[in-house]
Amino acid sequence: MKTILSVDDSGVMRKIIGRSVDVLGYGFLEAANGVQALEVVDKHRSEISLIILDVNMPEMDGFEVLTRLKGSPQWASIPVMMLTTESERDKIVRAVQAGAVNYICKPFQQDDLTVKIAQSLGEDF
Amino acid sequence: MPDVAVNPSEFKLLRDFIEKSCGIALGEEKAYLVETRLAGLLAETGCADFSAFYRMVSVQSDPHLRDKLVDAMTTNETLWFRDGHPFKILKEVLLPPLAEGLKNGSRFRVRLWSGACSTGQEPYSLAMVIHEFCRNGNGVRPDQFEIIATDISPSALMLAKMGRYDAAAVARGLPDELRDRYFLQQGHVWCASDALKEMVSFKKYNLQDPPDALGRFDIVFMRYVTIYFSDEFKQRIYGNVARLLAPSGHLVISAVESLRGISDEFVQLNHAGGTYYRCQAS
Repeated sequence: MKTILSVDDSGVMRKIIGRSVDVLGYGFLEAANGVQALEVVDKHRSEISLIILDVNMPEMDGFEVLTRLKGSPQWASIPVMMLTTESERDKIVRAVQAGAVNYICKPFQQDDLTVKIAQSLGEDF
Repeated sequence: MPDVAVNPSEFKLLRDFIEKSCGIALGEEKAYLVETRLAGLLAETGCADFSAFYRMVSVQSDPHLRDKLVDAMTTNETLWFRDGHPFKILKEVLLPPLAEGLKNGSRFRVRLWSGACSTGQEPYSLAMVIHEFCRNGNGVRPDQFEIIATDISPSALMLAKMGRYDAAAVARGLPDELRDRYFLQQGHVWCASDALKEMVSFKKYNLQDPPDALGRFDIVFMRYVTIYFSDEFKQRIYGNVARLLAPSGHLVISAVESLRGISDEFVQLNHAGGTYYRCQAS
C-alpha cells in the first residue's frame, strides 16, 4: 500500500492532510518537524511513496529538509510535494527548482489537496 | 496576497481566453480572481507576468496547462440532494411515466444527463433516487437506467470516478439511511457501492462543444452552472439541451437560474415547491 508522510508543525494541518490520504486509501505517517521527518524517512524508507512537506517550520524549514532528502542517494527518489502558506512566487519557484514534484498553497479546499496528492503519485482514476 | 498583479490588457486577454476555454464570463471587477487563482500557475510556469503566462497557455496550446487553468478557474462545490425538491420532482413526476414505458416495452432504457457534475454528488444522488424507486415495487430495474455525468474539470472528474468521500463530505446532505445502503465504510471514508457506480458514467465534456456525441436524454439536470455564463452562451447551452432531449423530455435547473429571455423551447412546470421544464421540441 502506498504511504504518505506529512511533515508539518501544525497538528491540525496534519489531520487535514490525513483526511485526503484516507479518501485515497493510502497509509499515513506524520512528523511534527524536520528532524523527526528525517528519522521517519530513515525508518520507513521502503514504504513512503510521497512526502508532503510544509515550508514554514521552526528550526529546520521545509527547504532544508528537501535539500537533505535530495542530497541523500537513499531518499532522493521519494517524490516531495511542498505546502506553502500563500501564493508566494519565490517559494513556489524555489520548490520546483529544488526538486519538488508538486505544491499546494494554503488555504486550500480539501478536494484540491486530494487531487494534488493523487497527481503527485501519478494516479489516474 | 499574490506578488504579481494583472494589468487591464492582460486581464482582457486572459478573460477572453478563459471564456473561450471554459465559458466562464468574468466582469471587469473580477481581475482579482485571475490574480489569486492563477498566481500559483504563474509561478510554477516561471512566467514573469500575466502577459508571458497568456502567451504560454494560448500559443503553446499545452493541454495540461489548459487543464490546470480550467481547474484553477472553475469552482467545484456540491452537496448531496442539493435543494431537495429537484429529486422529489424526479421521483414523483419524471420517473413514473418513464417506468411505465419500460414496463410496456415502448422504451428499453431511460437516460439522464448530469451536466457539470463536479465531484459526483449530483449523479450519485440521482442514482440513489432511481435505486430507491426500483426498490419500492415500481416494476423496473436499475440496469434499465443510465446516467451520463460530465464536467470540464479533470480533477473533479477524478474524484467523482473514485466515489470516495470523507465524513465531512458525506455529512453535507446525505441521509444516514441512504449512506448506509449505498456506501461502504472504510475507516473514515465512505465509498460509493458498485450498484451506484454501475449506473453512472463520467466523461470530460466542455459545454461549449457540440453535445451530439453524448446521445439523447430523457432527463437533463443542469444546475448551478449557467449562472457564470454570458446570455449568449446560455442560449447556446439550452439550445443544445433541447436538441438532445427526447420528445417531451425534461430539464431541471437551479432556482437561481431562469430560462426567461434565454430560451422559448421549454414550458415551465411546478411541483413540490420546485420548478422544472418540459421540452416543447419534437
